[in-house]
Amino acid sequence: VTESAKSKNDVPLETSIPGGAVSLESILCTEELHRRPWRAPDHGRENRALVALVSALADSPGTILQTLAEEVLEVLQADSAGLSLLTNDEKRFYWAAIAGAWQPHIGGGTPRDFGPCGDVLDGNMPMLFTHWERRYPYLQSATPLAEEGLLVPFYVNGKAVGTIWAIAHHNRRKFDAEDLRLLESLSRFASTAYQAVASIDDLKFQIAEREKAETALQELAKGLEAKVRRLVDSNIIGIFIWGLDGRIIDANEAFLRVVGYDCEDLLSGRVSWRELTPDEWQASKERALAQLAATGVCDPFENEFFRKDGSRVPILLGAALFEEGRDEGVAFVLDLTERKLVAEEALRTSEERWRAVFDNSAIGVALTDLSGRLLATNSAYQKMLGYTEEEFGKVTFLELTHEDYREANWKLITELLEGKRKQFQIEKQYWRKDGSLIWVSNNVSLVPGTKSMPRFIMALSEDITARKQAEEAARASERRYHEVEMAHANRIATIGQLSASIAHEVNQPLASVVTSASACLRWLDTQKLDEARRSATRAMEEGHRASEIIGRIRALAKKAPPQKDWLDVNETIHDVIALARSEIQRNGVALETDLSEHVPLVLADRVELQQVILNLMMNAVEAMSGVSDGPRELLVRSGTDESEQVMISVQDSGPGIDPENLDHLFKAFYTTKPQGLGMGLAISRSIIEAHGGRLWATVNAPRGAVFQFVLPVGREQVA
Amino acid sequence: MEPDKLVFVVDDDAPLRDSLADLLRSIGLRVETFASAQEFLQSKRPDMPSCLVLDVRLKGLSGLDLQKRLIAGDIEIPIIFITGHGDVPMTVQAMKAGAVEFLTKPFRDQDLLDAVQQALERDCKVRAQRAEIAELHSRFESLTPREREVMALVVAGLLNKQVAAELGTSEASVKVHRQHVMEKLGAGSLAELVRIADKLKIPTPT
Repeated sequence: VTESAKSKNDVPLETSIPGGAVSLESILCTEELHRRPWRAPDHGRENRALVALVSALADSPGTILQTLAEEVLEVLQADSAGLSLLTNDEKRFYWAAIAGAWQPHIGGGTPRDFGPCGDVLDGNMPMLFTHWERRYPYLQSATPLAEEGLLVPFYVNGKAVGTIWAIAHHNRRKFDAEDLRLLESLSRFASTAYQAVASIDDLKFQIAEREKAETALQELAKGLEAKVRRLVDSNIIGIFIWGLDGRIIDANEAFLRVVGYDCEDLLSGRVSWRELTPDEWQASKERALAQLAATGVCDPFENEFFRKDGSRVPILLGAALFEEGRDEGVAFVLDLTERKLVAEEALRTSEERWRAVFDNSAIGVALTDLSGRLLATNSAYQKMLGYTEEEFGKVTFLELTHEDYREANWKLITELLEGKRKQFQIEKQYWRKDGSLIWVSNNVSLVPGTKSMPRFIMALSEDITARKQAEEAARASERRYHEVEMAHANRIATIGQLSASIAHEVNQPLASVVTSASACLRWLDTQKLDEARRSATRAMEEGHRASEIIGRIRALAKKAPPQKDWLDVNETIHDVIALARSEIQRNGVALETDLSEHVPLVLADRVELQQVILNLMMNAVEAMSGVSDGPRELLVRSGTDESEQVMISVQDSGPGIDPENLDHLFKAFYTTKPQGLGMGLAISRSIIEAHGGRLWATVNAPRGAVFQFVLPVGREQVA
Repeated sequence: MEPDKLVFVVDDDAPLRDSLADLLRSIGLRVETFASAQEFLQSKRPDMPSCLVLDVRLKGLSGLDLQKRLIAGDIEIPIIFITGHGDVPMTVQAMKAGAVEFLTKPFRDQDLLDAVQQALERDCKVRAQRAEIAELHSRFESLTPREREVMALVVAGLLNKQVAAELGTSEASVKVHRQHVMEKLGAGSLAELVRIADKLKIPTPT
């Protein structure tokens, strides 16, 4: 090491391991390389690095080491990369070339027997270090500190002369097996290249005397051809010299192995390199030739060659024209067969894995083009909608979507295509093939295209019909519960209104019971048994009459879920009149009934129907109680309308209804009565509608109002 | 049996009407039943002690309406009202108009029977009074004009001498007229004659 080199060294020389330093094992993590996920090989990048090295070798051999450092940095995506060479006295490693963050440390180095480079040469194997300054404190001044350092031995003519290394200064970059492969590949290439540039002695000389070495390298460059020959003969890659006319002027063994020809075949001129390329690969070759003509070099590109046996071999091809004459050039060929196989295998495995995910997904998956045509569907999606994959090919997802959702759905798709949203979620209904409807929840996103695949739309579709039905059932049940509550409250209020009337209706038979029973006792006292029996019979009958009335009230007051039976509406009207008769009379209203004898049975809830009729009758009575002059007439009718539905009407001679209010009448809380809740008509209408019927009001001529309702008829007729 | 006493029952509720009739018959009363007020008014009723059991609330003419009609028609018959529920203003109105009792259904049988007995007794009394007055009237009709003049002055408290002076006749002739009046009206003493005059509502000259 020269004094100048030493003066540049910012790392103090230390050769003894200080006490308390950690063991070598604790700063090594080489095994981890194989456990970490591999990144995919980037052969194009790798080959560009090789070409750069070849070019450096051809153009300026003096910078070959720096080029190597830069390419390592680039290919491994490291933060620093470099080359350490053993000094002549073999006491130190000299940092001959550095790229990246550590570039300012160029010219520095580490002791031979106390540092990572020495460890690698001693072990004669690649090593991955982490925070080596824990064992080698002098590296603390080599900033930024290394999170990880990957080192491989550097051989020249089979002898280890140094190391090539890459450093990550941040823990976000973790080296993996692919990095190791690349580093070793570059190392091997550099080693060969370096041998082409200089002998070991040259190398050592260059290290000791950089100035001199550079001069020597300049001289060496003059005899470049011989040295390139060395590269050619090393047979690491296939190399051939070609003429634009198609001749193969020279080729190395590696090239012959790739194409399966022997030397004579080629040099005889029988084989033209232009004919080696199959038709479908001609286009890419033509592009390369055009680039070659324009710039003298072409970027490495993928191609295929026919082998002598007619089979094909995938290759990476790069070429450069010679300066002189420009009708000949050099090309290198890299056999990609193995890599292709590996890549294809990996691709196939990946493809199969995704295919299995797609097919076995419990969630329906549908892929469509941008117009919504279905490109692919998985079995869950097919099963959900009842179509086969082939049948799906003829429809768009929009055609499967229920009419109500199409517009909104298409708007979202448009926003997706315009880039206004990345994805969207929609709940909608699909038509199944059998014509039934299902509910789905769809997650839709736009999948960006690649070179070989246009962008498409992906929908993840889940059948939520059961959930929707459960929700709807819960809502309906809640609504029904509410209606039952309201209807019950209304009945209780009506019973309250009728309390006087009801008391009268109950007291009447009770008075009769008591009176008849008294009479009976008195007849018994005088041994008048026939008379006594007659009185007792009447008492019993009247007792039943009282209990029937109480039974009706109890039924009306009971809160029970509606229960439909076949009913004779006339009977129902009589039931209601029995309760309200006294109230009607008290208000001075004359009640008339006009009940048709031939009314079909209706399927209805008895109590609810009573409630509706009672509400209408009480409304009529109240309406008329305010009328001081004119007759107070209440007419209850039953019959059938023109469509044979059962029709019941309640007609009064009250003040009638303002035609403007006809619409409001049936709304909840609408009332014209000071003490009314305004629920009666709203409840009545909802009851009739729940029975599939209709309730409405009209104005009666010359005065009063008519409330009527119709109910659908059952099949059975009243005898 | 009290076949000489009659109870009318007016109620539009047939079973109750029958029960009431049954109860009244069980204690030996004669009963006639009617479903409405109109029916009752149109009926020909025998002249004998009777009373009316009447439901307040009737179809058409109500119980109270019937009571008014009877009063207006000067038909005197004791009424026992029965009603489905106690309505105070209605009760007051009925009692003021002379109802015997106002019973709320369901009532105790004894209450009804007591009320009926009371009503019949009242009717008997009224009938007896009416008969007595009719008898006195016919007797009074048999007096001569002079005898009526003498009687009016005697019951007004004048002495025979004063009556003679008033009428411009002799005391002896007054005595004779007075004797005839006492005989014709069946009065044993002056006090008795005064009571008869009172019943006949003979105006007293002042």
